[in-house]
Amino acid sequence: MNLLAELVPMSTEWLYLAAAALFIIGIRDLSSAETARRGNLLAATGMLLAIVGTMQHGLIVKWEWIAVGMIVGGLIGLLMAVFMPMTAMPERISIVNGLGGAASGLVGICEVIRHVNPLGLGSTAPGFSAFHVGVAGLEIMLGALTFTGSMIAFAKLRGLITSKPMTYPGQNIVNITWFVVMLGLICGLVTGDLGPGFFFLLAGMALLFGVMFVLPIGGADMPVVIAMLNAYSGLAAAATGFVLSNKVLIIAGALDGSSGLLLSLLMCRAMNRSLPNVLFGAVGGATGSVAGGGELQGEPQSISTVEAAERLFDARRVIIVPGYGMAAAGAHFAVREVADLLKERGASVKYAIHPVAGRMPGHMNVLLADANVPYDDLVEMDEINPEFSDTDVVLVMGANDICNPAARTAEGSPIYGMPILDVDHASQVIVIKRSMSPGFAGIPNELFVASNCAMLFGDGKQVAEQLVETLSL
Amino acid sequence: MKVVVPRELAAGETRVAATPRTVKRMDRAGLAVHVESGAGAASGITDKEFSESGATIVEDRAALLSGSEIVLAVKPPDAATLEQIPSGAVLVATLDPLIEHELVKQLAGHGVSAFSLDMVPRIARAQSMDVLSSMSTLSGYQAVLLASMALPGIMPYLTTAAGTLHPSKVLVLGAGVAGLQAIATARRLGALVWGYDIRPAVKEQVESLGAEFLELIDMSADAEDAGGYAREQSQDQAARQQQAMTAHLAQMDAVITTALIPGRPAPILLTAEMVSAMKPGSVIVDLAAERGGNCELTRPGGSFTSDSGVTILGPLDLPCSVPAHASLMYANNVANFLLYVCRDGRIDVESDDEVVVGTLVTSGGRVVHDRIREVLGQTES
Repeated sequence: MNLLAELVPMSTEWLYLAAAALFIIGIRDLSSAETARRGNLLAATGMLLAIVGTMQHGLIVKWEWIAVGMIVGGLIGLLMAVFMPMTAMPERISIVNGLGGAASGLVGICEVIRHVNPLGLGSTAPGFSAFHVGVAGLEIMLGALTFTGSMIAFAKLRGLITSKPMTYPGQNIVNITWFVVMLGLICGLVTGDLGPGFFFLLAGMALLFGVMFVLPIGGADMPVVIAMLNAYSGLAAAATGFVLSNKVLIIAGALDGSSGLLLSLLMCRAMNRSLPNVLFGAVGGATGSVAGGGELQGEPQSISTVEAAERLFDARRVIIVPGYGMAAAGAHFAVREVADLLKERGASVKYAIHPVAGRMPGHMNVLLADANVPYDDLVEMDEINPEFSDTDVVLVMGANDICNPAARTAEGSPIYGMPILDVDHASQVIVIKRSMSPGFAGIPNELFVASNCAMLFGDGKQVAEQLVETLSL
Repeated sequence: MKVVVPRELAAGETRVAATPRTVKRMDRAGLAVHVESGAGAASGITDKEFSESGATIVEDRAALLSGSEIVLAVKPPDAATLEQIPSGAVLVATLDPLIEHELVKQLAGHGVSAFSLDMVPRIARAQSMDVLSSMSTLSGYQAVLLASMALPGIMPYLTTAAGTLHPSKVLVLGAGVAGLQAIATARRLGALVWGYDIRPAVKEQVESLGAEFLELIDMSADAEDAGGYAREQSQDQAARQQQAMTAHLAQMDAVITTALIPGRPAPILLTAEMVSAMKPGSVIVDLAAERGGNCELTRPGGSFTSDSGVTILGPLDLPCSVPAHASLMYANNVANFLLYVCRDGRIDVESDDEVVVGTLVTSGGRVVHDRIREVLGQTES
């Protein structure tokens, strides 16, 4: 019996170890398209093992609560998985992340109530050490701000709140001060200067902070924010792990936190902006999503490669507009493959060559010839302009100024008077670009915020290759 | 308005400032185009083709020029021709006014309103009028063909039963329009291509054509001016550049130089010493020969082989060797410009439009272009 009693908690440790290993391998596998599915399954299995391990820990108080929680949670998860479309992935992640944060925060509150007894309900567990007070405070703060922050992110993505950055003067100072005060509260609680009731004040401030922090960030930057919130919920989970002395929580939380941060940094680099600029940049007038002089009226709509492939799938008439970006990315071979796949499906595909596309006369011709695109597929501007209004999808590959409508009407603009490709006349435009940065003329492009235009951010070559992969399925 | 297209008289000039297509465009815009008989012959355009598109063919040059209101030319008119052009007429040609001071004074003295298309500002809407771009494109391409014919071997990589032919190595100095086109053409022929420019911003452009950018020490960020042209380097910078370059030169089969600085003599990129470090049988094509050349040994207009076995070509007016396309592009530049500045049947020389101000050299008997006045030392109006 004794041996069994010892073995039971031991097997939990083994299960936790296995779970941690699966989490790590799972995240690693997520970094490539081929292994991503497997990575997901591995991580989910790890989670299952962690749950099983927890349940046989022996400290379970009441099975009924667990059963209810599992059924309700499982059902919600199932419904979300089945009914929320893949295009709503960011919203899904916001909800899930937020609830994860809420869970950590609530656990923190529970532990505080149990150990510190702020409500005078009678202490049921030994008092907290200073260390535990500190991590509990962090847990509650991070959990609460992640919850509300994620909910605001969800609302912005859904359009329930305006996706424009909501700013007021001095906002960054207010936010930073708020944050510093919260840290101060935690310190005060650790040193014992502040009574345990202040845990609730901390929770309240953190809930508000989540809202205040996310409101000034524009809808187009939500993916970065979600990655950051993901990181915060990871930190909250890690803090929970320290409070509960639970190794797998610490490991999983640390993985979550670091991968979330790395992802945010990578996304910012892909957008050609720094992380502080994304998080705090909207205050003071610089609209977060536009770099370079002038402002765009409206937010660009951003889509994934999968969505772009879906739109191309259904298109009967496609025009590809190559630009310097395609040349710099070396994407011309992949672009030809995309065109070939579309032609196999019976679509008509032409390349619209603007007279000054690229950085030298004939730049596009040289590359497309290199990629073996038949000369007949290339059409010059004057000939192809009337055809845009009959076109289902225009794929703009790294071109910018040559399809900027400002050239038609904006008299002060450096490109005013230059004839352009009438890309905006088509039913749908997909622009493949690394970021919202301006082209050679250094001005923002009104096309990017048009209602029939979607941005596909990424490296031209990689995006084109992914399109080839998806279209070949 | 009477628009006149005389035959080009300069030796070796094969281009003409109008084509049947541009004649049609000008005709539709209400301009009466008169073309000298035989003006398009060297470009393969017959008098018949011109007259079918709406031009009046004139045999007598004096009759052609008298009463002309707009004269379209490639090279500037010689003294005799200028005499026959009425005072107050508009001249659209390529004048090289920053260098050709005498010509500018003559044009001013004659009361001609002269527009020089090589002074077109580098702005988006004027790209269709930029003759330097058009002609450089053709020069860059031709330079590679010249090099390939002068080389003792072929350019691409061939593995055959009779042995393996290794690809030629080509270095293009200066990655402007001519340089980039040369890079593209050499790549099309299958050579291994390197590009070099003192403007570091150009690295991506070179790489976008599949060539490698030669990294020498000391890339100056200040090397580019407002129009994107290269600035002249200091003596010190130039010396260091030459040293670093020599090691690479020894491996090249062909070196094509395209470095020009607006209004100044061409910079020397290849000293005699550097040339002697190159392989026997290798080739230098110096596209800056008209401005003195980027190579110390260049003989403008000729070609010869140095003592160390390096063939050095200094072609002048390369676009003239492909007259059909050179005239096509040049005539389009001219027509695009003319139809832009000519509104309601007249050209407003007082206009403050950027394109007009940038290209108008002389008018009303004086030099009006600020930069050129500076160069000529004319500070008061």
